[in-house]
Amino acid sequence: MKKIKVWDPFVRVFHWAVVAGFAMNALIDDPESKLHEWIGYAILAMVGLRLIWGLIGTRHARFADFPPSVSAAVGQMTDIATGRKRAHVGHSPLGGLMIYNLILSLLAICGTGYMMTTDTFFGIAWVEEAHEILVAWAEVSVVFHIAAAIAESRRLGINLPKSMVTGYKEMPPGAEM
Amino acid sequence: MPTVSRKTRTISAALAALIILQGFCAAFFLSDLVRDLMEYKDPRFEVLHFALEVIANLALLAGAVVEAFFLAGLLRRQARADRALSAASGALHDLMEGYFADWGLTASEADVATFTIKGFTIAEVAAMRGSAEATVKTHLNAIYRKAGVAGRAQLVSHLIEDLMRGALPGPKDTRADVAGARAQNSGTVA
Repeated sequence: MKKIKVWDPFVRVFHWAVVAGFAMNALIDDPESKLHEWIGYAILAMVGLRLIWGLIGTRHARFADFPPSVSAAVGQMTDIATGRKRAHVGHSPLGGLMIYNLILSLLAICGTGYMMTTDTFFGIAWVEEAHEILVAWAEVSVVFHIAAAIAESRRLGINLPKSMVTGYKEMPPGAEM
Repeated sequence: MPTVSRKTRTISAALAALIILQGFCAAFFLSDLVRDLMEYKDPRFEVLHFALEVIANLALLAGAVVEAFFLAGLLRRQARADRALSAASGALHDLMEGYFADWGLTASEADVATFTIKGFTIAEVAAMRGSAEATVKTHLNAIYRKAGVAGRAQLVSHLIEDLMRGALPGPKDTRADVAGARAQNSGTVA
């Protein structure tokens, strides 16, 4: 068992803060309320910081550590299909794509949400529709993200959700990297 | 590292995108259906319409699942084919080395012979090895003489003949056979 420091404190706080904020706004609070707006701004600010951190942050937090790549993604799907265990220290190729998807979705949700507060777009149907469809997309993505984190944890023998809490990935002895 | 061919990669990526899109649509419609179902007491609720929607949604989901299995099969087949190919090319290489050792080719001659079998011209081989064409020709003459063949075509057909006879091991018992071939080769060299 080899412990590797993967996620820095900023990445972990960002992750769980976004989890809390998104859960509040998508499931709990009143969408018409001021609270909903403030949480939206907070999420936007956090995503903005995450984007900067993706350029200057620690090794596995940088976008350069998980560039979107079709061939790497197909490679990981091949690993899954053939039962080959190859662990990735940072984001896996498919995991990285999910991160980009979630970040872009959150930005679009914040964008359409902000538009609804402006005089120009207040009450315009397509903005509201877009906001809701984007939230639905993000919700489905989150469910898939959780399912994939559990499935990959089982496949690789690494507790991925735990690593997002402690910051360490415990690589099993036989795992290729 | 599984090397996936460009075509398979494109198909796989497109298929994965389709599965994701269908999965999202299915989830989206499913939430719609649940909302409809909660209003079943409403006089405007039509059972037939609702049933059709359920069937359409199930078909969509089933399609996505079938595609996922198809994709997994495609990737597995490709991975197997890649392994078999590398085993075969590894075995062919061993076969060539075995002949070169039998014929007593020098290191330079073996190098020239490999390039020649791969189809490079004398000029190309000379350029790659950084030697004069005359030197390559001398090597080639020595190779043909030692191998007892009249020219390049016969040299290549030596290998092809072995391939046709099934000298190449199947992908399953490759490792044992290749190891055996290696042992034989080293035996002849020694």
